[in-house]
Amino acid sequence: MKWALIAWREIRWEVFFDRSSLLRTGIFVVIPLLFVITNRGLGPGPGGDLRIVALAIQSVLFPALSGVALIASTFVAEKENGTLVPLLAAPIRDRDIVLGKLVGMLVPVMAACCFTLAAAYVLAGYRYGFERVTRVLTPELVYAFIVLALLFVITAGSVTMIVAARVRSSRAAQQIAGLIIALSAALFLGLGFAATQIGQGWALVAVGIGLVVFDAAALEVAQRVWQRGEVLARV
Amino acid sequence: MRGVTRRFGRFAALDDVSFDVRPGEIVALLGPNGAGKTTASRIIAGILAPTSGEALVDGVSVREQPTRVRARCGFVTDTPSLYERMPLRDYLAFFGRLYDVRSPVARAAELAEQLGLTAVVRQKLGTFSRGMRQKVAIARALVHDPPVLLLDEPASALDPEMAQTLRSFIVSLRARERSILLTTHDLDEAQRISDRVVVLYKGRVLRTGATSEIRATGRPTFVVSFTGDTSRARDALRGTGVTPEPASGENGYSALRFATDDPAATNAAVLRALIGAGVDVVTLTAEERSLEDAYLQIVRGATT
Repeated sequence: MKWALIAWREIRWEVFFDRSSLLRTGIFVVIPLLFVITNRGLGPGPGGDLRIVALAIQSVLFPALSGVALIASTFVAEKENGTLVPLLAAPIRDRDIVLGKLVGMLVPVMAACCFTLAAAYVLAGYRYGFERVTRVLTPELVYAFIVLALLFVITAGSVTMIVAARVRSSRAAQQIAGLIIALSAALFLGLGFAATQIGQGWALVAVGIGLVVFDAAALEVAQRVWQRGEVLARV
Repeated sequence: MRGVTRRFGRFAALDDVSFDVRPGEIVALLGPNGAGKTTASRIIAGILAPTSGEALVDGVSVREQPTRVRARCGFVTDTPSLYERMPLRDYLAFFGRLYDVRSPVARAAELAEQLGLTAVVRQKLGTFSRGMRQKVAIARALVHDPPVLLLDEPASALDPEMAQTLRSFIVSLRARERSILLTTHDLDEAQRISDRVVVLYKGRVLRTGATSEIRATGRPTFVVSFTGDTSRARDALRGTGVTPEPASGENGYSALRFATDDPAATNAAVLRALIGAGVDVVTLTAEERSLEDAYLQIVRGATT
């Protein structure tokens, strides 16, 4: 359970005691809520319902993007500052270090995702009527969006970890990872949106399964590039 | 270490390296940059696997049980590398938990007291001075009271007073039967506290032995101090077959240095020659060689 220690340290000291990371996450939480508040011209009918779904997807995926910057800075900063070496010198498995850091990023980011989705739900309820929002955003769909966000964060985290292992500075890691994640976010957004429109959500399940397979492969690669020998050869 | 080789691609950072560190002993690992010192330390610490060969720490193989090896080693890196946002007590307690220490918070307080950091135990590490940070790195390495301690440039960038305190602390650990491998470029520090020396060069062991043995490497040198004409003294020395070199004389006397393989015969001849040349000899003393002189001679011998 040493991964839990690492995760707890990350959450407590590197997320909640880092003003810049809190500010970044806060911005990614506020932006989708602003979209909900300022959205005009939401007409009745299927077109308007579709826009409510899009706002919900935005609300859950936007905060997930903050996780990219978080994990890029976490991993590369450890390399840059040399703090990774004492960690590698401790009696912990490589897998625990990677898992601990990933979970340390996942928990606060997913908390932000859930909070933003809940806030967007309530705001949309006040603005467009609770009856309509409850009808469009069914519990199954909300749950599916949260799972989609989780899978996306794992994908983003894995890709960022792979990038972070290869570059020397956290700035470079954030730039490259940001580019990859922006592209994948656009793809996921489109996929998720399209999936909700086809086959009563079965396509959403298919997207989820596809993401799980991709995540498993990406995590395996991430774990390999963060093995002790590999990392120390580059530190 | 027994016949340890470590390759990074085609480059051999270590090539068939063997040496040992016994309990209650401080061994200095010396060598120029790129000699393989840090790689050797990392292999012993169980954080890097050897390509071939074997390293045993407290009887445990780094190849077969690296996690158990890591639990037996304390590793101080050349830079303190601390988590800046954490207070000292939380930082040491965190590493204590990673090393399965029973009462990590109590152990953190104990170490802070030993290293004179009790007053700052709640302060964030980012506010600490260079010397304090180095002390924290040492406390981190000692948090699980390991039998083996690997110190990579522990006193680098410390002021003399702090370096002296650190040296005393390291020597106190030797008294507690800890095996200490000190990787350093500070040959004065190595000379003061190490029992034995291992000289690495381009991944190979050039020389290993007791510090006193290493210092005795090469031809004995002597310094003769005198009053009178230096050129006459130099000619007299040349006449005995030695090559005089300028040396710094004390109390205003002139001085010359020479090396010889046969002091018994040469020194008597030198004295006779100087007196014969009208030079008033004040002292003729054997020069104590520093570890630095011996080390430079060993390394130069390898490069030529």
